[in-house]
This record gives sequence, structure tokens and C-alpha cells, in this order.
Amino acid sequence: MGFSGVDYFGLDALLTPEQRLIRNTVRQFVDEEVLPIIKESFEAGRFPTQLIPKMAKLGLLGATLKEYGGAGIDAIAYGLAMQELERGDSGVRSFCSVQNGLVIYPIYTFGSPEQKERWLPKLIRGEAVGCFGLTEPEHGSDPGAMETVAKRDGNYFILNGTKAWITNATLADVAIVWAKLDGVIRGFLVERGTKGFSAAKIEHKLSMRASDTGELYLNDCRVPKENLLPHAEGLKSPLMCLNQARYGIAWGAVGAAMACYEEALQYAKERIQFNKPIASFQLVQQKLVEMLTEITKAQLICYRLGQLKEANQVKHTQISLAKRNNVAMALRCAHLARDILGANGITLDYHAMRHLVNLETVYTYEGTHDIHTLILGSDITGIESFR
Amino acid sequence: MKVLVCIKRVPDTGGGFRLTADGKRVDTTNLGFTISPHEECAVEEAIRIIEKHGGSSTVLTLGPAAAQEQLREALAKGINNAILLEADDYESWDPKAVAHAIAETVKPMGFDLLLFGNESADACNYQVGLRVAYLLDLPCVSGIKALEIQNGKAIAKRESSEGWEVYEVSLPAVFTVKEGINVPRHPSLRGIMAAKKIPIEQRKPARGDSPIARRRLKKPQEGRQLEILGQGVEAVGKVVAKLRELGAI
Repeated sequence: MGFSGVDYFGLDALLTPEQRLIRNTVRQFVDEEVLPIIKESFEAGRFPTQLIPKMAKLGLLGATLKEYGGAGIDAIAYGLAMQELERGDSGVRSFCSVQNGLVIYPIYTFGSPEQKERWLPKLIRGEAVGCFGLTEPEHGSDPGAMETVAKRDGNYFILNGTKAWITNATLADVAIVWAKLDGVIRGFLVERGTKGFSAAKIEHKLSMRASDTGELYLNDCRVPKENLLPHAEGLKSPLMCLNQARYGIAWGAVGAAMACYEEALQYAKERIQFNKPIASFQLVQQKLVEMLTEITKAQLICYRLGQLKEANQVKHTQISLAKRNNVAMALRCAHLARDILGANGITLDYHAMRHLVNLETVYTYEGTHDIHTLILGSDITGIESFR
Repeated sequence: MKVLVCIKRVPDTGGGFRLTADGKRVDTTNLGFTISPHEECAVEEAIRIIEKHGGSSTVLTLGPAAAQEQLREALAKGINNAILLEADDYESWDPKAVAHAIAETVKPMGFDLLLFGNESADACNYQVGLRVAYLLDLPCVSGIKALEIQNGKAIAKRESSEGWEVYEVSLPAVFTVKEGINVPRHPSLRGIMAAKKIPIEQRKPARGDSPIARRRLKKPQEGRQLEILGQGVEAVGKVVAKLRELGAI
């Protein structure tokens, strides 16, 4: 039997028929295509690349774009799709977040007409994969201090530097590399196979094992001047991309939490100790109620955030609040679910611990929990704490 | 080839359900709705037949205005047209009344193939498809699990306990389809957005008499119980005692 959702406040009634159908379609896709294979992918430490054409066929890549073959779905429908994908696995949702928010979005927003024609249809059809190179080994929360540089050389730019913790690094056909040109952050399209460009997988991860994470190396890497994103300038440009991805994360975290809650609830009703289901114990009920309450609150945050985004009224601080709250909430739910599952909870036969370790990554990527706290602190006090 | 597929909007009871206080209906508060599973397969079959042989497909339902959601799902998957026979009191329509309304609507439309689910997931009456075939004076094979169009005729297969029953049927004809005939496709997100723009033909059907009225539904007692009686040979005695207690032996 497939997943039937967690909807204690009847939020479904607020959704349009299209939003519900999109949510249900991705939900069924996750039940049929992701959940049966995710254990093996996670254990093997590889992204399930067989999902890429399937996700493309479904329309999950470039989903909000109305041009270049995108489905043109609204912000709430997109959020619901991310929620369902992360109910499957944070790594699978991350693949989509990166392809959509960090590759398709910047090419569409900052790219030249030629760059859009060359890349967007292929990225949307899943025939090409992209990655986003902003973070460096020594510069995570402070990307403005990046060391990667670009220099002009006739009709080329020469790039030098290293990017770290890059999702889709070794899968990517094209990397959006952010580098300083004359001291200003600019975006460059670096294609796989370009001389001086290479990628390596980061091994021995204990989290996000079904996601491709790697490093990008740029050693006198020459890219044609046509590969500069003409309309991206300054740190604001990559941060605009991150806002797109963080929006999807806020929704995705709810999906992971829903998976954990549902699993813990079922387990608690069926697990007999002291001759009765453990769901009958007040301590267990309290944990389940806490999970349900926090999921419901996060769902309401997402719904309103989606309305604001669709109306082009969303502030980056509101996205920070949603990402910060919802990921911490999901991590707490995963902990509680793991706890309710007891020893069984540590195996990959159940989902809670996989979500738990994945969410440890989500907690500190795309802006750490603490950085989002400081972004919000700065917004409400008018006092910046870290610059 | 002109193909009609009739569907029904039914409550999605996958996550459990309750009955209304009068015990006559499923309480649909906070329940989602879906296309009845056999009919989901009928929709898929209609799309495949049109993809292979060309022509047009139409999806029809009798139900409340909200049933447009299910019609749009069928459109999103690839059905070309949709008709809603709007009836807010659809739950009190018995199979005879539903079949009359459908037959009256489709009679002048000249469909070659009329597909129904074998039975709906909620009422399970097994009647509407057969009644429509009777009213239109068309041949009908029920419960089919394979369908092919060859030289203007339909070859339909029905599974029996001994193997397959294979029928050759002249068109036009009615078939009621069973789950398992195919694996229904997912609608694509593009398809969902495109289906939003397809107009749905809405009609208010005249209601015939409904001689059958449901008195009440009764739900079996909930709750599964797991009891481990022991391991290996020493559990045998306890198993036998338990089977006796349950009246099984």
C-alpha cells in the first residue's frame, strides 16, 4: 500500500487539483521507483543514475520553467514535488534541487540566449547533468572569500581553484563555477572534458550516501569567453540560486519528517512489548504527537512560503526561516523515529536512520542552521553579527 | 477509432477510513479522491489503443463538480476529451440510473470501443458497463485482462482458473477491464499543466429511477494482532491450541 500522506490540518483542501495531482504523481513515483532501490544505492554509496531519465520524463527537471520544454508548474506544486522526493531520500531530492535551482535557474536567469539554447533543453530532458561550484575547501559559510580566480586571456578565461562538497560533481556534464574576475564574483560554464578541469568523488561519507558528492579542480582551465554567464555579477548572483534551492529544501525536509513519522507510527502500533503495542505507552505517544505537531507547523510554513514565492513577494529571510525551522524539525523527527524503532531503527530495512544521517548534511548545507539564525538575527535587529 | 472510457471518482482509502454516523457512506472528510483502480487501467488501455491505431479518446464520469479532478488526471495522461455528467447527489444513483445517463449521452457519439472498470472500488456493483452494453445493444465481455484490435475486431482475453478465455468481438463493443491488464503510466508534470487548459464538456443528466437504495455499510473490526507463540517444535502445541481457540480446527 502506498504512502497516504500526513495531513492533520486538512491542507489538501487548500491545494488546487493540479497541485494535488502533481503531489500524488511524484508520491507514487517515489513509492514505485525510489523506495525499492534506495537501500542498495545508499549502501553502495552511489547516486541511482537510472532515476535521471525517469525524473526527466515525469517533468521534474526544469519543472517551474515555462520555456525550453519545462512543465511550468507553480511554486507550491514544485515544493510538493520536492517534499515527496525527499520522503524517498534527501540525495534524490538534492539531485533535483541542484539541477533545477543551481544549474537550470542560473543559466536561465544569467545566461546568454546561446547558452540557454545549448544547455536548457538537454538539462530538462535529463540528457545532461549539471553541478554548482561555489563552496571551497576553506570557504563554506563565507563564499565571498573564495580563492578561485579567473583571468582573461584573449578569447578565453583561465580558471584556477578548487571547489568542494559539490553535489553531482562527477556526474556533471557542465559545472557552474563561481570565480573572481578582477575581484568580482562571476559565473562560468565549465564543460566536462575541458582541459585543466577534473572532478573527484568524496568517499567515506556517513551521510547522503545515495548522492554524488565531490570536488572540482581547475588547473589553468581555459574556457571560451562565451562561457561567462553575462548577467551574473557579484555574490548576489550565486545567493539568488541558493534561495531557489533552499526553498526546495524547506519543503523536502517535511517529506523526510513525514516518512519518519509514518514509519514510527506504524511500528509503534505493531510492536508488542509488555503484551501491548508500544503505541499505548504515554512516552511513545508523546513523541508521536510532537512529530505530528512539528510536521503540521512546517507544512503551514511551506504553504505560505509557496504563496509568497508564487506572488514574487518572498524575502530571502523568509526562506531562511523555513529552511532553518524545517530541517531542524525533520532532524528531530528522524531522531524520535529512530528512538521509537529501537534496535531495528539502526538498520537500512527501516528509513528513519537513513533520513537521520542525511538530514545531518541538510542541516549544514545550503547555509548552515547557525548562519540562517544569524541572517534572521540580523534582519530583526538590524545588526549584522558576522560581517 | 473512437474510444470511450468511463471512470468513477472514489475515496482514496489507502490510509484507512471511517463511516458516516448513519453508516450509509464512507466519511470523506480529509480523504483524498482517486480514479477507481480498474478504471485507471481502462484509461491506460484507451491511451495505448489510440497511440497504436490513431483516433480519439474520451473520458466520461458521472459525479460531483469535483470529479473534474479525476477527468483532468485522465487528460493529463493522454486522453483527448472529457465529459462530466454532473450530479451532486451521485451517491444515491444506483447502477441502473447511472447506466441510463451514460447510455443516453454516448448513444449519438458513435464510439467504436467503450471501456469500463470491471467494478468500482467503492460500490463494487459490477453492473454499469454491462447495463450500458445492454441499453446500447452492444456486445460485451467483462473482466478482461488483455485487449487487442486486429482488422477492425477486438480480441479480448479473460483469465480463468484453468487458463485464458479468448474472444473475438465485432466493434462497436463494450469491455469491462480488470486491474493487471497493464501498468498505468504516471501523468507527466507537463501533461498535468496542459490538461488544465482542455475544456471539459459538462452536462446535467436527467435522473432515472434508482430502485436500489443502500441501507448501511458495516466495517469489520479494526486491529491486527501479532503474537509470537514460540519457536520450532515446542511451539506446535501452542499453535494447535490457538487454532482451536479461534475455531479453525
